[in-house]
Amino acid sequence: MSNSLGNYANHISTLGHVDRVDFGDRTAILVQVKQFSPGLDTQDTVISPVRGGKCEAQSRLEPLKPEAYGSTRNHLDGAVTGLSPFIRHGVVNSSDVRDRALDVSTPKQAEKFIQQLAWRAYWQQFYRKWPDLIWQDIEPYKTGFEPYDYADDLPEDIAMGETGVACIDQFIAELLETGHIHNHARLYIAAYVCHWRRVKWQAGARWFLAHLLDGDLASNNLSWQWVASTFSHKPYFFNLENVEKFTGETIDTRMKTNGPLAGTYDALYARLFPNLEPRS
Amino acid sequence: MSLIWIHEDAITLDHPVMDAAGSHAEPIFIWDTDRHDTLGYSLKRRMFIYECALDLNIPIYANNPYTVLTALSKGRAIYAANSPDPHIKDILSDLNESYDVVIIEAPSLTQVPDDTETGRFFRFWNKAKKTALVHSREQAVHGRDPQETDVKDKLSS
Ligand SMILES: Cc1cc2nc3c(=O)[nH]c(=O)nc-3n(C[C@H](O)[C@H](O)[C@H](O)COP(=O)(O)OP(=O)(O)OC[C@H]3O[C@@H](n4cnc5c(N)ncnc54)[C@H](O)[C@@H]3O)c2cc1C
Repeated sequence: MSNSLGNYANHISTLGHVDRVDFGDRTAILVQVKQFSPGLDTQDTVISPVRGGKCEAQSRLEPLKPEAYGSTRNHLDGAVTGLSPFIRHGVVNSSDVRDRALDVSTPKQAEKFIQQLAWRAYWQQFYRKWPDLIWQDIEPYKTGFEPYDYADDLPEDIAMGETGVACIDQFIAELLETGHIHNHARLYIAAYVCHWRRVKWQAGARWFLAHLLDGDLASNNLSWQWVASTFSHKPYFFNLENVEKFTGETIDTRMKTNGPLAGTYDALYARLFPNLEPRS
Repeated sequence: MSLIWIHEDAITLDHPVMDAAGSHAEPIFIWDTDRHDTLGYSLKRRMFIYECALDLNIPIYANNPYTVLTALSKGRAIYAANSPDPHIKDILSDLNESYDVVIIEAPSLTQVPDDTETGRFFRFWNKAKKTALVHSREQAVHGRDPQETDVKDKLSS
């Protein structure tokens, strides 16, 4: 490629035309991506096992099981598709994904799956209408706290996945290593950041956008606001029992390594939102 | 022969923008480092995007999109898939001052009127499901898939 990026001369060789590398040669691709990204932190050396491209998208679309999805999607090992990075970048379109679901099941069987696709459409519609609100609190927090009660920046231990809360650290490690985590893991991390650590959702959202292969201003920021309660009726939070129920054996859910998450919903509510009326 | 800007919200050649621009149109992808830096994209995100682009087997330019598109257009129309991203919209809007810019919608999952209340998802879903649960094939039969868009509408947010 030309090394004269930013040279605006009206000639193709100075325009940054890139020499093709073989799609099969990931090392050569990596070298090129690094060349294009001189501003990238030199410590950032991780690439995802998930590859880009249409075949990869297709290989996730073919085994789609909309019926099983409805009953298992909240489980880490449920019948989720892993299609989001491809949908995010338009490699496949959500309407094609919907069509595939309707090819292999009835509308009733596919309803839960298509409803999830519609969440994306919903966030997108909001973003199209109100692009300037995407980094702002859409509504007040319903946590008994004001925005100034929340820290502006993401603490380093969270960014590194070294919070000392075992399951949260495992979810963060997966995010940093692969750029993709299950929806439930995103909910757990976001709730931990906003409610346990009282950090502004914007700090968490910015961090997710850096790492998620499907990182998308609409789905990401508005989901963070949904957890934080600035775009929902109440804050989303969870307890260790819930993590245990949905995650299976690969995740450490022992009480002694996840202390801050343990307790009943009422007890955690009282601890996390002390300014609100008790739940029961 | 028109130019098609394949941007990061639609890294595909399987989009109505291809038909709209015609079979001789030239699709190009532009790698926008400044944008990735601004958004703080990690290496793995950049790698994924680049692999998606490389897979299309079309010319790739690493530079400012406005610069590349103005340099290559030479009076030709510039086609692009629609995007909600204000950054992409701004570039298309600037180009639209001096060039013929045509913005094309992808088939949408739902046909929900723009004035639908967007405050909570389930109100949206109640309207959306009528079309979301119907296969495109059947929607096309009922003439429900308008893809032509007015460029001014699409560039104003
Ligand atoms: C804090 C937080 C941040 C998130 N950030 C993003 C993001 O940046 N980009 C993104 O695409 N999704 C985001 N999501 C939504 C959701 O977690 C992912 O879309 C989903 O986990 C992707 O995995 P999948 O492809 O296996 O999904 P599946 O469960 O297989 O669903 C199929 C498709 O439906 C869409 N979808 C499913 N659930 C949701 C949802 N809740 N919201 C929006 N779309 C959905 C996605 O396009 C997904 O690929 C976020 C959720 C949370 C809680």
